[in-house]
Amino acid sequence: MIAQLVELARRRADGGADALWRRVERTTVAFEWGRLKSAGTTEEAGANLRVRHRGRVGVAGTTAVEGNDVGAHAAPLLDRALASAELGEELDLAFPVPAPIPPLTAFFDRAAKASLDELVGIGRSLLARLERQGCRVNVAIERETTATRVANSAGAGGEYRGTGFGVSADVWRIAGDDVLVVSDALEGADLPSDEALTALVASINARLDHALLVVAPPEGSLPVVFTPAGLSALMLPVTQALSGKAVLQGISPLGAKVGEQVFDPRFSLTDDPLRVGRTASRPLDDECVPSRALCLVERGVVQRFIYDLETAARAKAESTGNGQRGIFGKPVPAYTSIVLGDVGAQHAAPLPLGGGLLAGITDGLLVDELIGVGQGNVTGGAFSHPVALAYRIERGEITGRVKDAAVAGNAYELWKRVGGFGNDARWTGSRWAPSVLFEGVSVARR
Amino acid sequence: MIDRLTAALARSRADYTEIRVERTWSTAVTFRGRRLEAATASEDQGGCVRARHAGGGWGVASFTSLGRLEAMVTRAGELSRAVPVDPPIRLADVPPHQADALLDLDGDVRGVPIAEKKRLLEAYNGAMLGVSDRIVDTLAVYRDEVTEYWYVNSEGTILHELRPEVTLSGTAVARREGTIEKGLESIGLRRGWNSVQDKAAGFREVAERAVQLLDAPMVKGGTYPVILDPELAGVFIHEAFGHLSEADFVYENPPAREMMTLGRRFGKPVLNVGDNGAAPGLRGTLPFDDEGTPTRDTTLIKEGILVGRLHSRETAAAMGERPSGNARAISFRHAPIVRMTNTYIAGARGGGSFEDLIGDVKLGVYACGAFGGQTMLENFSFTAAYGRMIRDGRVAELVKDVVLAGNLFQTLDRIDHIAADFRWNQMGGGCGKAGQYPLPVTEGAPHVRIEEALVGGESAA
Repeated sequence: MIAQLVELARRRADGGADALWRRVERTTVAFEWGRLKSAGTTEEAGANLRVRHRGRVGVAGTTAVEGNDVGAHAAPLLDRALASAELGEELDLAFPVPAPIPPLTAFFDRAAKASLDELVGIGRSLLARLERQGCRVNVAIERETTATRVANSAGAGGEYRGTGFGVSADVWRIAGDDVLVVSDALEGADLPSDEALTALVASINARLDHALLVVAPPEGSLPVVFTPAGLSALMLPVTQALSGKAVLQGISPLGAKVGEQVFDPRFSLTDDPLRVGRTASRPLDDECVPSRALCLVERGVVQRFIYDLETAARAKAESTGNGQRGIFGKPVPAYTSIVLGDVGAQHAAPLPLGGGLLAGITDGLLVDELIGVGQGNVTGGAFSHPVALAYRIERGEITGRVKDAAVAGNAYELWKRVGGFGNDARWTGSRWAPSVLFEGVSVARR
Repeated sequence: MIDRLTAALARSRADYTEIRVERTWSTAVTFRGRRLEAATASEDQGGCVRARHAGGGWGVASFTSLGRLEAMVTRAGELSRAVPVDPPIRLADVPPHQADALLDLDGDVRGVPIAEKKRLLEAYNGAMLGVSDRIVDTLAVYRDEVTEYWYVNSEGTILHELRPEVTLSGTAVARREGTIEKGLESIGLRRGWNSVQDKAAGFREVAERAVQLLDAPMVKGGTYPVILDPELAGVFIHEAFGHLSEADFVYENPPAREMMTLGRRFGKPVLNVGDNGAAPGLRGTLPFDDEGTPTRDTTLIKEGILVGRLHSRETAAAMGERPSGNARAISFRHAPIVRMTNTYIAGARGGGSFEDLIGDVKLGVYACGAFGGQTMLENFSFTAAYGRMIRDGRVAELVKDVVLAGNLFQTLDRIDHIAADFRWNQMGGGCGKAGQYPLPVTEGAPHVRIEEALVGGESAA
C-alpha cells in the first residue's frame, strides 16, 4: 500500500517523501481499412516514489508491483530513490499538508462497464456511417479505467478512480498521387452519446465533402480562419510560455508580463482540472495538491503560470496543482483541460465548418490541419507550416480544398488582434476552443 | 523463464500464440543549465501475449504483473474469438528459430555507478555552457538501458536476447535580447558505456553554432537547388519515403497499393534506398524482429524503381511477398506493427564528394541537421538545424530557419546527384507510429542534391 511505502520512506529520508501508485486497465478495439481486426487489453500498475534526504531530492519508479501490493518491492524502490537523492539537487521542497479536496466525479459506470461487444458495436456503427465509394476507413475505440493513490509524509493524500473513453476515425481517399485523410476523435470520461457520435460523423463528412474539389490556393496577407483543431499552431507557443518551467528557464516571452495586456481583450485561457466528463480531470494532482480551476489569461491580461511542487519551490512560487507524474521519472508541470473563452453547452446539432466566421471573407483560407506543428523554435511564437488540410474561402463560401500552400506568422502578433471567435467551440483532445479568424496571415503557394 | 513461457503457451487453445516478456533496467540523468535535474534508476517489466483463432482477429493482452501470465494467455484467446475476421488473417511462413543472442554490451551500463554517469554528462553539458555567456540554457540527457528479452511462439520459435542501448542528447539555447536560437546534439547506440566516452566536441560544436545563429539572417524563402547533408537526407528518406514503404499502409488499401506498385519509377537511376535491420552495431539492429523473423537488408528503391517493401508476417502473406523482419514493438505494452529499422539512401558509386555536388550551383541552399520533420503522406515539412547559402559553387554565409516543404513524389524525382560519402547517423530519439514512440532506428545517407526544392522562411512573411 502507498501509505506504508511513504511511512517506510519517512523513516529513512529526513526530509520526507511522497508517492504515487497507479493502475490502468485498457480495452481497445481496432478496425483497420474497413474491417474489424483486433481487440486488446492492458493491465498496468506501478509506483513512483520521491524522497528528500539531507536537503536533496531523489526519485525512483517501478512496475515490479503485484496488484496493489508495493510491500515486497518497497525496500529496493526506496534504496534507488535514496541513491538518486544522493546525487540530486538541493531543494527546499516542502510536501503539502492536508487540505480540503474538491468533490469530483471522474468515474462513470457506463464507460467502465461497457462490454467488448458494445465497443465493437460503436465501431461498426461508425464504419457504416462513414463508408463511401473510393474511401477506406480506420476506427479505433478505447476504454480505460484507472485507480490512483497519492500520499505524502505530511499526511496529505487521496485516492480516486477514473474512466476514459476514446473514439477516433479517419477516412482515407487516395486518387492517383493525391492522398486525402480526414479524421476526428472524441475523448471523454463517459460513454459517448449518440449525438456526439453523430456529430463526429457529420464533422468528418462535411470536411470530406468540401475537400473533393481541389482549387488553387490564394496568396498574400489574408484573412485565415483556424478551426478548433487547426488552432494548435497558435496555441502551442502560448501554453509553452505559460508553463512555470519555461518562465524559470528564462525562455518564456510571457515571463515578465504578468498583469500586462498581451492578447486580444476577448482572449481568456483557463486550465480546469475539475471539468466533469474530461479524462484529464482529477480531484487532486499527482503531488497531493487539491485541484482548482486556474485562470491563466483573463481578457487578454496574463494572470499566472502553471507550477508543480519542484518548479514552484525553485521559482519561490506556489504549486498550482499542475504536478503530473508517470511511473518513471519526476513530476512535471502539465496542463489538464485547457479552455479558451468560456465553456458553453455542448452543441446538439452538428456545427458548420468555420463557426460562422466565413461570411465577411472575400478571399482567404480555412485551416484545419498543418504539417510540422511543434517543430523548430516554438516558444518564440513564429510559425511557418505547409497545410495538411485547408480550404479556400471566396466571397464567404468554401470553394474547395487547397494543396501546396503554407501559412506563416507570429502567434503573439496574431493573438493581439483577433478578427473574430466562432460559434463552434468544442473539445479537441484536452482543449476547448472555437474557430478563430485572424487577419493578415501570410499565405504562400508552392 | 523460457520453461514458464513454454508451459503457458502449451495451455493456449488458440491456433497461433506468441508471448514476449521483457525486463528493463534503465538509468537516466538530466542536466538543465548547471543544475542536475534528475538522476534516476528504474525497473520496468511486463509481457505481451498475442493470439489468433482460425477466423478470429488478433487478441492482444499486455500486463506488468507476471503473476497474470497464464490468465493473459487465456484472455488473448478470448479476445481473438470475440473479433471474427473475414477473410481470415494468414501469416507468411517463417521457419522456427531457437537462439540465445546476447548482444555485445560494450561495457555493461548496469555495472557503472550512476554518479559516474552524472560526471560524464556534466562534462558534456559543461562543454556547451563553456562556449559563451550567450548560452543561457542547456538541456543534457543521458539514458541507458539493458533489456532482457524472451520470446516464444506456438510454431516453436524460442528466443532469448540481451539488448543494450545508450543515448545522449544536448540542447544549447543561445539568446540575445529577444532572439533565441538553439543547437542540438544527439547520439544513440545499441552499445554500452565504452561507446559514449570522448563525445564533448560534438556538444561544444552545437553550442557554438547556436551562438553563431544569433547573427545569421533568415534564409530568403524561395525555390533553390538544395543539398541535404547526410543527417537531413537520412531523416528525409525515413520520414518522407520510409513510412510509405511499410506494407500495413498498402496491404488492404487498393488505391494505396496502386500508388505503391512495385516497378513504379520513384526517382532517377542514381537513387537507391533500403532498410537493413541486420547492419552490424546500429540502434535499429536486432537479430530478430518481434515476431521471431530474422532481420535482413531489404532494397526498397533500386536505380529509381520501387522494388520492395517492409513486412510483417501478416502483410507479407496478404501480398504474397516475403517477410522482411520489420514487425516491431517499442515494448511489451504494444503488439508489433510494421516498422523501419536502419533506413538508408545508398552512396552513389563514383558519385564523388560534397564539392562535386555544389560545383555547378550558382545560388543554392546547403541544409544541415534536423530539428524535426513531419510527413502527411505525400506532403512533408522538415526543419533543418541550420543552413548555409551556396554561391557560385562555394559554401557561403550561415542562414537560419531553413524549412523544407514539398511533395514527396516530385521531390524524390528531383534528386539528381548523390555523393559517395555515405554515413550512418547514430542519433537518439526515435520513430513514432500508431502511438508507439520512440522506436530505436537509424538513418543513413551521403550528401544528396535536389535540383529544385521549396525553402520556406521569410518568403511567407
